Amino acid sequence: MHSIKRGIAATVAVAALALTGCSAGGGDDGPVGLDFWAWAPNVDKVVEIWNEQNPDIQVTVQKQDGGDPVITKLLTALKAGSGAPDLIQAEYQKIPTLVSSDALADISGDLDADVADEFADGLWSSVTLGSDAVYAVPQDSGPMMFYYREDIFEELGLEAPTTWDEYAEVAAAVHASDPSRYLGTFSANDAGWFTGLAQQAGASWWSIDGDAWGVDIDESPTQQVAEYWGGLVEEGVIDNKPMYTPEWNAGLNDGSQVGWLSAVWAPGVLSGNAADTAGLWRAAPMPQWDADAPATGAWGGSSTAVTTQTENQAAAAEFATWLNTDPEAVAAMADVMGIYPAATDAAAEALTTSPEFFSNQEDFYDVAAEAADTIAPFTYGPNVNVTFSAYNDEFAKAAEAKTSSAFLDAVAEMQQITVDDLENTGFTVE
Amino acid sequence: MTATTRPSGSTSPRTGVPRAPDDSLEPRELGAAPRRPAGHRFRTRVLTPYAMIAPAILLFLAFMAAPIVYTVALSFQRVQVQGLGLGSGARKTVFAGFSNYVAALDAEFLASVGRVLLYGLILVPTMLGLALLFALLLDSKRSRATRFSRLVIFLPYAVPGVIASLLWGFLYLPAVSPFYFVTDALGLDAPTILSSDLIVFGLANIGLWGGVGFNMVVIYTSLKAVPSDIYEAARLDGCSEIQIALRIKVPIVFPALVMTGLFSLIATLQVFAEPTTLRPLTNALSTTWSPLMKVYRDAFTRDDLGAAAATSVIIAIVTLAMSFIFLRIVQKRAFGQED
Amino acid sequence: MTTTASTHIRASATSSATTLRPSPIATGILIIGALYCLIPVVWVVAASTKSAGELFSSFTLLPSTHVFDNLAQLSAYRDGLFWRWMLNSAIYAGVGAIASTWVSALAGYVLAKFAFPGKAAVFSILLTGVLVPGVILAIPQYLLLAQLGLTNSYWAVLLPQIISPYAIYLARIYAAAAVPTDVVEAARTEGAKEFAIFNRIALPMMLPGLVTILLFQFVAVWNNFMLPYIMLGDDTLFPVTVGLSGLLNQGASAPSMYTLVIAGALVSVLPLVLLFLLLQRFWRVDLAAGAVKA
Repeated sequence: MHSIKRGIAATVAVAALALTGCSAGGGDDGPVGLDFWAWAPNVDKVVEIWNEQNPDIQVTVQKQDGGDPVITKLLTALKAGSGAPDLIQAEYQKIPTLVSSDALADISGDLDADVADEFADGLWSSVTLGSDAVYAVPQDSGPMMFYYREDIFEELGLEAPTTWDEYAEVAAAVHASDPSRYLGTFSANDAGWFTGLAQQAGASWWSIDGDAWGVDIDESPTQQVAEYWGGLVEEGVIDNKPMYTPEWNAGLNDGSQVGWLSAVWAPGVLSGNAADTAGLWRAAPMPQWDADAPATGAWGGSSTAVTTQTENQAAAAEFATWLNTDPEAVAAMADVMGIYPAATDAAAEALTTSPEFFSNQEDFYDVAAEAADTIAPFTYGPNVNVTFSAYNDEFAKAAEAKTSSAFLDAVAEMQQITVDDLENTGFTVE
Repeated sequence: MTATTRPSGSTSPRTGVPRAPDDSLEPRELGAAPRRPAGHRFRTRVLTPYAMIAPAILLFLAFMAAPIVYTVALSFQRVQVQGLGLGSGARKTVFAGFSNYVAALDAEFLASVGRVLLYGLILVPTMLGLALLFALLLDSKRSRATRFSRLVIFLPYAVPGVIASLLWGFLYLPAVSPFYFVTDALGLDAPTILSSDLIVFGLANIGLWGGVGFNMVVIYTSLKAVPSDIYEAARLDGCSEIQIALRIKVPIVFPALVMTGLFSLIATLQVFAEPTTLRPLTNALSTTWSPLMKVYRDAFTRDDLGAAAATSVIIAIVTLAMSFIFLRIVQKRAFGQED
Repeated sequence: MTTTASTHIRASATSSATTLRPSPIATGILIIGALYCLIPVVWVVAASTKSAGELFSSFTLLPSTHVFDNLAQLSAYRDGLFWRWMLNSAIYAGVGAIASTWVSALAGYVLAKFAFPGKAAVFSILLTGVLVPGVILAIPQYLLLAQLGLTNSYWAVLLPQIISPYAIYLARIYAAAAVPTDVVEAARTEGAKEFAIFNRIALPMMLPGLVTILLFQFVAVWNNFMLPYIMLGDDTLFPVTVGLSGLLNQGASAPSMYTLVIAGALVSVLPLVLLFLLLQRFWRVDLAAGAVKA
């Protein structure tokens, strides 16, 4: 009986070896093969440069869906013990979740000490989680900026708002000029966007205090932002429909969406969704709460992480470092991927001429660099996804209700749901 | 009933009539008939049905039963974290008892069940009514353009739910929809389908669009299984086509209708792709609009497999119970006189 | 005997068709139903001809001229990866549907034509598979297949989809309806083996019904998303559904590639439509006529 069982186990093991061998690469002779899950368009073209220069370490990009489920897919593969890639593109807000699930390898031992110097402190702390470990190498960042239709602003005699008070006035003026026009929309579907707005106001939704997590969503900075937007929606001067819908795209095209609070990567989205409006937009710094202390938030941005299932951690870390710090790679990322590389100096060298869509604005990257310098610090927690889906649900209700108080209630609900989830899972919450 | 449906040929009298799952007796079944000689032949005859059904059983055990058991096991587990929960070994899986089940039966879940029942109440009768109507019209000798209609009405079945929802999403959004273009041009104030009040109709419409052809073909296939000389006899007796449809055809396909109804009901409780695809377009759909969306959110957004598994088990049990009740009710009416 | 009966049916059907008047109402209702089903199709055909700018700016049903540009871009995307996805889908759906139909036909035939202990239980248990949502099943299926080292391979998508309770259910109905017990008994008296009776006599009789099952299974596998999504990491193994979803969800900082997705969606549905057209004549076959051929 026992021998039969062992026989079956051995057969299964042999079969498993034979069938999974393809992705492991390993081996003493042949080149190391690394699988890289990423969703950013054209990342494979940058990887080609590496593959040409490094015949011993060959990286294969396996392009994935950009949504949340890819994390579950990764965690399932890790749990099963096979099928996970060596490297994964991870958004900053996902890092604590992934670390907490033991998905990301600590690569601090594989990196040169000076790698950290390539990146802004805020970005670096989001890949270390404030510890001595390093869980990823920053890839790109998304400093938030304000975009507006220069032609329509001129036609209405409006100036780009520099404070949120001015933004409210401009929003009212735009909507008054034509009821189908809006300066922007409050999107209940984009939690990352709202997080960036709260970040600018000084919010940091999670904090680490010794051995406990703090949750600070329902605090004055976020309340201030929610109340402000709730007021604009209540007044009716700001639209309440989600972004990234075909309708919103049409609005960008036909001029009914006159502005967009977005991030440095907006030119790529605008040129894809509103190609006909090329040369009509202008980028400006975000409107400020306190004009004397300029700040901005970050929306989007991601890092390159090494998974705990890799058998070639050193090679994977070497590739991740190259991708995000090598001047040629950084330049290629900026060029073919249209992202804003996280490596500050290399990026400054690579990004000299404005994106084609903004050929009317020579100082595009000066505005961007200024924004990147003023990103406020922000800490993500281990259950960002719970908070973000709570944002979707609670703010969808609030946006439908169209009252400022409903927006404040939504913030309180987010806090409650986030704390409950942490406590239920057993995290220590202060 | 049986007498009138019996064809002159050798076909089984209950041709094309789907039966309820627990109604396993076929007329004049084959098998280990006692008149067969014993010995080698007999043993073969006894084992043959098992050998022939073995592939289905084995695949079922491997790819459905085992995952189902696994799901049930997962539903009694939960992740337990200590302190900050960072670094390796911070997470461990512990036995959860019924806590996932208790947590799953929250107001959110019950509300989602309520919404889906309303959705089903709108969708299933409309879909089956139209499917039956179309199948009868296709079968009617007085209809024309039947090949074209049958193909086109069945066509949406080829379109995945996600793509169908994407297409209808475009058609529902006022800024890009031809409907609203037309109503605007006519100066009409068309209602917003993607609003909280009407979204359920918008979703039911997508379900109807995708499902009516499928059900039509199932009903039509069962109509086709009946030899047409029955109708011929009825016609000679002076029945009109409508009378033939209502008095002969509908009773014949009624069991098929019951089963398509049952499967539609199950599909309704599991509605997922349509609301998930439409959700980003509107504030009217939450991430837990339908029970399965809640499962998906727990499993794929929150990475809480225990909660997702517990909710799945509850959905399966509720579905089973509803199927059972449904069959009990209709069986008394449909098959009652046969017993 | 069967031949005479069938001839009689056909003859009478022909004669009655000539005597019945066409009804404009009946035809009208069918046409309205067909038009309703065509609306989104017309939309997607029109949309597939538009450039990215036109998609959101021109009247939605107005066709444009960019259909070939869109197809060329779709083909050019990462060296023709889209066509690899189409091929993968064809393999998954083709092989999967044929295997599934055969297994289901066998099971359905046995359930309809044999009496054996445990039959009712087997059928009920098989049917419970319908009750379990596929969304959650995909994760345990992954964890189990990973034990066999079969994830991230063609097998991972093919094997779990061969079993279909619904197909078995339909096959049982078709077997009960289309395979006369007398014919099976006669073959058995002549000494035919049971598998031979199934393959040579029952299978051809069930064929029209099985074509329906084949079609349903083909569509089900072709359109499945969750299972391949979870099972596959390698994007060269993706079916077209998972591939297109990646083009749509590229994260907030990249635009959805609507023109590619719309063109891709249209192209991906074409094989199914073609299949429907090709197999259409099978649906017309009267199940009772099957006995004649055998």
